[in-house]
Amino acid sequence: MTGLDNWLTQATRHLAKDSVAQVRAEIQQHYEAARDAAITEGAAADEADRSALNALGDAKTANRQYRRVLLTSAEARMLREGNWEASALCSRPWLKRLFPAVPAAVLAVVTALFFTGHAAVARDVLIGGIGMSPLLAAPFLPIYTRSRSHVFRVIKWVAMTGALLFVYGPETFKWSWLLLSCLWPLAQTEWTRASIRRKLPVAAWPRQLYL
Amino acid sequence: MNFKGTLPALILETLMHEPSHGYRIAQMIKERSEGVLDFKEGTLYPALHKLESEGMVESCESVENGRPRRYYRITKAGRGALTKDRAEWRALSRAVTTILEGA
Repeated sequence: MTGLDNWLTQATRHLAKDSVAQVRAEIQQHYEAARDAAITEGAAADEADRSALNALGDAKTANRQYRRVLLTSAEARMLREGNWEASALCSRPWLKRLFPAVPAAVLAVVTALFFTGHAAVARDVLIGGIGMSPLLAAPFLPIYTRSRSHVFRVIKWVAMTGALLFVYGPETFKWSWLLLSCLWPLAQTEWTRASIRRKLPVAAWPRQLYL
Repeated sequence: MNFKGTLPALILETLMHEPSHGYRIAQMIKERSEGVLDFKEGTLYPALHKLESEGMVESCESVENGRPRRYYRITKAGRGALTKDRAEWRALSRAVTTILEGA
């Protein structure tokens, strides 16, 4: 393995396949131009290789910077899976129609619980349903612009945490380990989506990034 | 010399004259600063990608001496950002000079 291959392997660690191809192509071009320039100035071939490689600097530093601006493999996977989920949902009309049925089902359950004497459980289910409602309503809301989607995300998190605080009340702190472990995957998804939003131009955002 | 944070502005300034590829951008920054701004060239491309995703520059593939090259061109938004960066830099430079020369 040459010095450049080593450098590229380190600089492209954890990047998505497309990002790796892009980095490899541009650095290869840059390296060849630098090498040619050094040879034109009279350097020997191995000396030109060394100076072109030195000029690139530390591969780990480049990797950190690339990961801030190009998609990582985890982000690319999330986009792929999210797109698959969206297309799977949209290609099944019965599944899409099920979405508006969920609030009706929740209301039916709440009514049934209330009239069978389980008022406290009915209240918790209702609050939980209200907390989840932004997620269920998202496909039907006009949120697909940058600023509207930002407002939507704030409302979504306020609704979810508000519902949890309301349901657990003074016992929230006692059950915080459970709440944090439930919210952790959601928070991680939110974090990854925020990172993808920073990297992709708005015109290239798939619908899932607005949620 | 450490010029952290100013690389995007220097790239935009370089591209104001003509579209260019990464290697030439790096060389022009070094030459125009008479070697004072010597940076590691591996960090140039992340900065270029960021500028591209922000719509400050656009890129296209071209061929030079039989080799493929990615050329970068400044956009209208990039020109606007550069004008702002120049004004900010002048103000900062004036302020620092006033303090240092007054010492």
